[in-house]
Amino acid sequence: MTQDLRIPSISRGPKIKVFVNGQGLVAYHGETVLAALIAAGRRVLRKSRIDGENRGPLCGMGVCYECLVSVNGSPNRRACMTDVEDHMEIGIDDSEDM
Amino acid sequence: MIRKTCDVVIVGSGFAGLSAADILAERGLRVLLLDENLHLGGQLLRSPPWSGKRSSAGGIMGYGFRLIGRIKSQPIEVLNRTNVLDIDERGMLLVEREERMISVASKMLLLATGARERFMPFKGWTLPGVISTGAAQILMKSYGVLPSKRMLIAGIGPLLLAVAGEFLKNGGRLLSVLDMGGAREKFLLLTRGIQQFSKVTEGIVESAQVFLARVPYHLRTMVVEARGGPGLSAVVAAKIGKDGSLLKGTEMIYRTDSLALGHGFVPNIELAQLAGCAIDHDGGKGGWVVRVGEDLQTSEDRVFAAGEITGIGGALKSMDEGRLAAFGILNKLGREVDPKRLIHLKRQRNRHLRFGILFNNLHRMPDQAFLSIPGEVTICRCEDVKMADVTRAVKDGYDTPAALKRALRIGMGNCQGRICAPLVYDILSALKKTTAKEFPPFSVRSPVKPVAIRSFLS
Amino acid sequence: MIVIGGGVIGASVAYYLSKKKIGVLLLERSDFASGTSGACDGMIFMQSKKPGLHLALALKSRRIFEDLPEKLGSDIELRRNGGMIIFRSDLELKAMAPFMEEQKRGNLGVSLLDLHQARELEPCLGPNIAAATFCPLDAQVNPLCLTYAFLKAAKRHGAKLFARTPVTGFHVKGNRIYAVVTPQNVVATRSVVNAAGVFASQVGDLLSLTIPVAPRRGQLLVTEVLPPILTRCLLSARYIAAKYDPALAEGQNPGFSIEQTGNGNFLLGSTREFVGFDKRTTRDAIRTILMEVTPILPRLKEAHLIRTFAGLRPYTPDGLPILGKVSTPEGFIMAAGHEGDGIALSPITGQLIAELIADGKTSISLEPFSLERFIPKEPS
Ligand SMILES: Cc1cc2nc3c(=O)[nH]c(=O)nc-3n(C[C@H](O)[C@H](O)[C@H](O)COP(=O)(O)OP(=O)(O)OC[C@H]3O[C@@H](n4cnc5c(N)ncnc54)[C@H](O)[C@@H]3O)c2cc1C
Ligand SMILES: Cc1cc2nc3c(=O)[nH]c(=O)nc-3n(C[C@H](O)[C@H](O)[C@H](O)COP(=O)(O)OP(=O)(O)OC[C@H]3O[C@@H](n4cnc5c(N)ncnc54)[C@H](O)[C@@H]3O)c2cc1C
Repeated sequence: MTQDLRIPSISRGPKIKVFVNGQGLVAYHGETVLAALIAAGRRVLRKSRIDGENRGPLCGMGVCYECLVSVNGSPNRRACMTDVEDHMEIGIDDSEDM
Repeated sequence: MIRKTCDVVIVGSGFAGLSAADILAERGLRVLLLDENLHLGGQLLRSPPWSGKRSSAGGIMGYGFRLIGRIKSQPIEVLNRTNVLDIDERGMLLVEREERMISVASKMLLLATGARERFMPFKGWTLPGVISTGAAQILMKSYGVLPSKRMLIAGIGPLLLAVAGEFLKNGGRLLSVLDMGGAREKFLLLTRGIQQFSKVTEGIVESAQVFLARVPYHLRTMVVEARGGPGLSAVVAAKIGKDGSLLKGTEMIYRTDSLALGHGFVPNIELAQLAGCAIDHDGGKGGWVVRVGEDLQTSEDRVFAAGEITGIGGALKSMDEGRLAAFGILNKLGREVDPKRLIHLKRQRNRHLRFGILFNNLHRMPDQAFLSIPGEVTICRCEDVKMADVTRAVKDGYDTPAALKRALRIGMGNCQGRICAPLVYDILSALKKTTAKEFPPFSVRSPVKPVAIRSFLS
Repeated sequence: MIVIGGGVIGASVAYYLSKKKIGVLLLERSDFASGTSGACDGMIFMQSKKPGLHLALALKSRRIFEDLPEKLGSDIELRRNGGMIIFRSDLELKAMAPFMEEQKRGNLGVSLLDLHQARELEPCLGPNIAAATFCPLDAQVNPLCLTYAFLKAAKRHGAKLFARTPVTGFHVKGNRIYAVVTPQNVVATRSVVNAAGVFASQVGDLLSLTIPVAPRRGQLLVTEVLPPILTRCLLSARYIAAKYDPALAEGQNPGFSIEQTGNGNFLLGSTREFVGFDKRTTRDAIRTILMEVTPILPRLKEAHLIRTFAGLRPYTPDGLPILGKVSTPEGFIMAAGHEGDGIALSPITGQLIAELIADGKTSISLEPFSLERFIPKEPS
């Protein structure tokens, strides 16, 4: 299932490519990692530590630390506060993997 | 460590911070404006970085975007992606930016750290696909991305409608809006607060209402369960009585992979607490707020506070408080201030404050709503602490926020209690049949937000 | 019996007393474990104890920990993985040699490891260490869980526990305590245990007793939760030396302590400072500690710091706790001043005080721990 939830009428920055768990994904300069993931319908990002519940973004504004992903090998980055960069490697723990 | 000095440091670039920066820079002061966010504008002034739509906006939004333009053309040093971590007893800021530490010394400090969202949890609210109304708004307004094709919106307060309008405008399929509030609240807000309200939400309400004609809008309705796995697939909602108790037999089920959720706002007072500023608990202001005088000075001599952190009240309040704080600072630095302007601003602020109290009181959740949270519901999402753990611990005598934190690790995780703290205060006061005023809030320690260890080493 | 203080020591005393069927009233002026016991590491370190009396006490306490979780009926996150002392240079190794020689006689089973051997045990150790010693007896617990577990078990045995109840005075008749004063009440009692930790001297003041316990601040840093990468607690040789040599503690670099808690957070410490009752953390200390620990565990450079806090160690001039009866007034018993060892020494402290009160005699002589040791002897 590939989807693009981007609103067509909005102009965007240059197109770039990022990798999510090794798989290529289109993104646009100026987006956050979270925006790029959500645009592609990815919402399961990690497991809660103690109960192993699936978790995804909640606040979207850097407060809740639910959207932690790894960025270029560096763990526990807030997807909502990190800009995408060309060829960025993003790691998520997604049991909804497509 | 990089060192910086300036006349005034402003933390937060929402309406409050921007309005203050504008005035202070115009009067020739060296201003440093710091914000953790990727862009200027705080929670309200958002637009996709590559879109030109900001200039065309009217009303307060247009004013705000023009303000951002002015700030950019003034000799103000602006640092985004910049986390203020600590304020020491001399008022020195410790700031992290791109994994480097900056220490900032200034004559005056203005805290304009705004607010975050508040949530009323239910079974399954941790499922991916349940996001905040703020997150939905940010995705659409800042990045031009829909949270999903189909969405349900639930909670309490005007943000529900703002998000509904934005979602519909961009071609989303909105299943329904579920509002815990009743018709009486809506009526009071629309009649007494109309002046404030219409300006604040800038026509979004009107446009939403047009669209909402076709979207079911349920009052006194709340989500009781989110279902799915691994992500959200369905939401169960039900009607509630005036006291917040569920009305059996009124359940409705919605099939959706996306639920936007919001139950009002919580002031971001953590930095002010670290700076030693006195705080007060006031339900009419949205909970724990920073105590300020008429000139927006806090209990600390060189520290001012403006905007949502002194009480939830909306964009106009933030704007006028930012201005008043700027004049307060100018006055303190021995500069002249037009007394007529001050009188006018203070009068306006009082109006905003009255509106804020009405607004917050109307959106307060009844105690019963907290008491009926089922035991299995997660309260602290970072440490997976459940409602049953909390009630048991309170029964065992761990009946203050600090004691609960030590006993359950509640609030000890990455978000440092920002999501669960307001809940813990409300649950505690409901269980103990008293007000949250009685319990000192969680203590705050440096750093106020997690920070890469690497930043200390460079 | 009244126990003053709901830290780990007061909690342990209340537990062992109530186990001996003695009625206990524990009064805590704030919340339970809100003092030093809620702001510390949880190491049960044998290698750090001064050989002799101190080590003997610690070893006895260590033995009690073996089946303590079962006895208390709670999880105290006890981990018996041993501990390591890290030497940054040969110079440090040389300086600590006499200490280690003495330790050997204490039958601790300490082994000296070179870098390679140390990294075999703890693969995440960095290459910048000269040597390490390993002791299998070293262990760790969660100090909060431990305190609460003592309290819970004491309650089960009939002890009555009161939070937010400060002791503000005493009634003394002749030479004997007969009541304790709180803002709400006057409670009759025959004996009182002063387990007020760093405030033990203030409690002493209420009786005009001079108790030389002083606050010695230790700052701690908490990281986010990381996957389990460290199985043993680590102390630097300097950290131990600093306990006994104030000059080292005040210097630029007081050494470090590193532990990964059961929850997965790292606790990084610490300082030894005399700054009164100031519990703030300082930027310099945070940076110094991070500069110290990151070469030892390079993996920490990838982690985030989420919190810092400071605790006040109840320091005594000779590094030993003050335990047992005071000569006057009668009925006043000390159990305070455990400095940086209160968690490790809590079980034995509780047991000895309970023996003293219930049986009138103790399995280890408390004389060397008496308050009187600090009173200058009159020349005879
Ligand atoms: C999610 C959300 C959505 C909202 N949507 C609407 C809406 O649609 N309509 C409406 O009328 N009102 C809305 N509001 C209310 C709105 O925020 C206020 O009306 C007003 O704009 C607030 O202005 P402010 O300057 O007080 O704070 P904010 O606009 O919240 O700005 C505070 C700024 O401080 C920064 N900050 C905080 N702490 C730190 C730190 N430690 N270091 C660095 N920077 C920091 C934040 O990043 C933020 O940019 C919303 C509020 C929230 C929380
Ligand atoms: C940074 C740091 C790291 C440490 N690491 C370790 C370690 O790894 N291993 C180890 O074994 N030890 C360690 N310690 C030492 C250990 O924490 C202490 O020795 C121990 O917690 C002391 O316990 P306590 O019960 O005596 O004191 P506290 O826990 O302070 O309890 C005393 C209680 O008495 C109460 N009180 C005071 N006055 C009154 C009154 N008038 N009426 C009623 N109540 C009163 C206080 O509120 C307080 O709760 C460390 C300490 C620090 C600071």
